[in-house]
Amino acid sequence: MAAPSAPAIDPVTLAVPFFILAIVLEILLARLGKVKAVYEAKDTATSLLMGFGSGIAGLLTGGVVFAASVWVYKYHLFDIPMSAAWAWLAIFLLEDFTYYWFHRLSHERRFWWAAHVNHHTSQHYNLATALRQTWTGATAGTWALWLPLSLLGFPPAMIAIQKGISLVYQFWIHTEAVRRLPVWVEALFNTPSHHRVHHARNPRYLDSNYAGILIIWDRMFGTFVPEIDEEPCRYGVVKNLGDFNILRVAFHEWVGIFSDLLTAKSLREASGYLFGAPGWSPDGSRQTSTMLKAQWADMQTAEPVKTDPAAAS
Amino acid sequence: MTLKYIITQLVTLAILGGIMGLVAWVKIPRATPPLDEAEVKRRLAEDFPQTPLDQIWLALDGAGAVARSDDLALLLFRMGDSYVSRSMAWSQALQAQAIKGRFWFRFNDFAAPKASLALAPDWTRAAMGETI
Ligand SMILES: [Zn+2]
Ligand SMILES: [Zn+2]
Repeated sequence: MAAPSAPAIDPVTLAVPFFILAIVLEILLARLGKVKAVYEAKDTATSLLMGFGSGIAGLLTGGVVFAASVWVYKYHLFDIPMSAAWAWLAIFLLEDFTYYWFHRLSHERRFWWAAHVNHHTSQHYNLATALRQTWTGATAGTWALWLPLSLLGFPPAMIAIQKGISLVYQFWIHTEAVRRLPVWVEALFNTPSHHRVHHARNPRYLDSNYAGILIIWDRMFGTFVPEIDEEPCRYGVVKNLGDFNILRVAFHEWVGIFSDLLTAKSLREASGYLFGAPGWSPDGSRQTSTMLKAQWADMQTAEPVKTDPAAAS
Repeated sequence: MTLKYIITQLVTLAILGGIMGLVAWVKIPRATPPLDEAEVKRRLAEDFPQTPLDQIWLALDGAGAVARSDDLALLLFRMGDSYVSRSMAWSQALQAQAIKGRFWFRFNDFAAPKASLALAPDWTRAAMGETI
């Protein structure tokens, strides 16, 4: 068997011209009033520069991540041929399953949220938001979640290609231009509607729809929340950032963790600040998304749902 | 790092710059009409549910507001075409520095370190005299 090598194709690099064309098209069609899309100049600049920086960070760390995959592959359990169609179907499902858990961990535990939060910092939802990618993903170590696939016997290049395909798929769903797709598509796949919910800060929508390509994992593991027309998504994070500074976007939660750790009075507090849910605090003075959702649910039982058309800003 | 890589990155940056220019040119942000009390109430109720407001002071340019809720100050300020909110102790809000027609509020929060609002020049006096 040949030694594992770097993937011959990188779907993300190949897709960059498509990303650029699609963004330009969305902007122009929105300007002509043909589709719904909202772009703010500084917000867009922040998203694009985060994407650019993420590419540089990926280049610096990609080698180490790939080398880890190659090292684990040395001990692989089965010989899985890259040329077999069944192997591609299997990697598609297993990679997507891994992505679901990576993404869920990235929202539910603060250490990994610190690396992922930047993707959610825009108060807009458009194709440029898709490029607002992490600079510190490799540091957070979540790439280790994909190592079992190497151990199973999927060639590292195959895993890397499938990860790239997933990232490219997830680009186009960052849009308000597409309202709903046919029922069977919405049932099976992650769509603009499902991912809008994922980017929303309305308590109803928090911590949901972690899917990469297939929405079935959310349906299976109880994290699926449908988009409701009466409650338009308000995008961003629970406590939105105060400016467009890209260093703040990339590092604010890491700084938050660090300053909290300085005040920790015990190992329990330190581990809560590091690995608790985002918003965890020793005295409960801050709010986690579970607390926000519970408060919202209480309010719903206290008063019937009010829908305010003006909320659709 | 090869020359080819550096050139590719520079070309990418130039294209991204072009997109930024396009967005600035086509002007398709959200509308940001001056805030009124009802809108401030609606927005603060989203971010601070079940928090009754005693009084609201609108910024003169309509780009933000301060509200008092007992010993808390709730601040709403515009960022681009969107809004950000934060809370702080009411007593601390009264310490806001007035510089060239704007009041500067400093939060102990790296995610949003400060905000400035164009409140009426006598805002601090009015706010201190306000009784609940
Ligand atoms: Zn996410
Ligand atoms: Zn997204």
